[in-house]
Amino acid sequence: MTSPSLRALAEGGVPAALDRPYKYLRLEWTAELGMLRVRTCVKPIQCYSLAGMTELQRMLDDIAENPGLVRHFVLSSDVAGVFNFGGDLALFVLLVRAQDIDSLKMYGRRCVDLVWWMETAALRGVHTTVLVQGDTLGGGLESVLPFHKVIFERSAQAGFPEVLFNLFPGMGAWQFTIRKAGFAVANDMILSGRLYTADQLLRRSLVDAVVDDGAGEEAILDVVRSVEPKLRGTLAALIAQRLAAPITYESLVQAVELWAETALTLTTRDLRLMERLARAQVRKAGGAGEGAVEEIKRIELDTAWGELRGGNTGFDEERGTGLTAWGAL
Amino acid sequence: MSKFFADLVIRTDEARRAFETHPVVLDAVAHGMPLPRYRTLLLELYHVVWHFNPVCAAAASRLTDSHKQVRYFLYEHMQEESGHEEWVRNDLEAVGVPASDTAGHTPSAFTQALVGYNYWAADRANPCSVLGMLYTLEVIASVYGGPFASAIKESLLLEGERGVSFINSHATMDAEHMAELRVVLNTLEDAPSREAVIGAALVNFHHFTRIIEQV
Repeated sequence: MTSPSLRALAEGGVPAALDRPYKYLRLEWTAELGMLRVRTCVKPIQCYSLAGMTELQRMLDDIAENPGLVRHFVLSSDVAGVFNFGGDLALFVLLVRAQDIDSLKMYGRRCVDLVWWMETAALRGVHTTVLVQGDTLGGGLESVLPFHKVIFERSAQAGFPEVLFNLFPGMGAWQFTIRKAGFAVANDMILSGRLYTADQLLRRSLVDAVVDDGAGEEAILDVVRSVEPKLRGTLAALIAQRLAAPITYESLVQAVELWAETALTLTTRDLRLMERLARAQVRKAGGAGEGAVEEIKRIELDTAWGELRGGNTGFDEERGTGLTAWGAL
Repeated sequence: MSKFFADLVIRTDEARRAFETHPVVLDAVAHGMPLPRYRTLLLELYHVVWHFNPVCAAAASRLTDSHKQVRYFLYEHMQEESGHEEWVRNDLEAVGVPASDTAGHTPSAFTQALVGYNYWAADRANPCSVLGMLYTLEVIASVYGGPFASAIKESLLLEGERGVSFINSHATMDAEHMAELRVVLNTLEDAPSREAVIGAALVNFHHFTRIIEQV
């Protein structure tokens, strides 16, 4: 939902250079701020489908080909309760069963190209902000980490569940989590498969701001308005920040290649777990209160009961809160 | 030239997702189906499976030696699929449909359209189009068959494999078939054959979605 103040700012349509008939994206333009607002709507299962990613990449290419036009890029989801479920699980199952490593690598590289664009956005004169208002899992979380400003609404939950089905998040999770939150947090998050609340992610510095539910739109405007007067300096600082803690395209591609090779080793049991998650996503898309997040809890209970019962997360305030620290919710 | 299987996956991805995200399919995968609708689905499926090998045979008979690897693939595949319509009939009996009712069932217009198209494509368009039918049916079986069978078992309180043996076994079996199908698809180098496969896959996804929609 666009807030009244944002709506009032939006002037006219999207510039012709960016205006295309997208199926999975909804674009809004605020000329005063040079702000392109993009809402993803890969309905009913919000994930990084091939077609959705193709549209996203085309839109980012348009921004790159028109330097100076977009100063602020803002991404959010148009699907209630879900920012992004990450990879297209059904496509993964298909490709793994077909033992098609070429297509798995192709899919992974497309994901990497998207996160790389965000990683290098400051070099294009673009400041990036993302608003997460619902569940974001695996690739969904990876995709927000390279943004300059990451805002979560309080009820949003996120994590990297891939290890539960013998995989790992291979599109930048390690690189971006280590840079933002440190090695220990990356280890904990990626190797446990646990899910985290917005506040828990804020404490780990993976999220820059947590706002109450419904306040995300105003928070976006606050960020963009505060950055706009000092945009050149901010972008230069962000370029320098990435020089200080560089992530290379090559390292992202290497991780994707390893991810694809690992995916080919998934067993029927692993794929069945993936299918359980996919089914849970479907239930959530159908309007059920429970979705993939709850299914991950059940999978953890089924497969790892006892392993993390101590709840030793390394964060004192979360000790002993249970298998996935849900008591802290 | 790029590997054809990857191209097929990309160019049919929206059709696959249109099937996957159809409200009826979403609901069936999430919650299963009431017994009468599941019976109807199996009755429709019976005819799809019954005509599977004859369609493959029609295609094999039309393939020239330039595509003999596809013909040999079809021979082996037909051998493996032979008699599987009996599995569907057994599942129908397990959910209360006698064999005489199965034999007397007239398939819906959508099933007739699917089967009729596949015969026509194999006979009059391009025999390689049969691989588009195989791709679609194996994607549906190996990717969605498992979750759907689980949902059906939960919703109808079925025990073991009773009533879901065809769908459940193909969910696993077609995983191996999918890898074999990828290999043969990647041998296709001529554009007309590739386009025929893609076109047939798109039609099969479309018609199969309609079949499930109307049960």
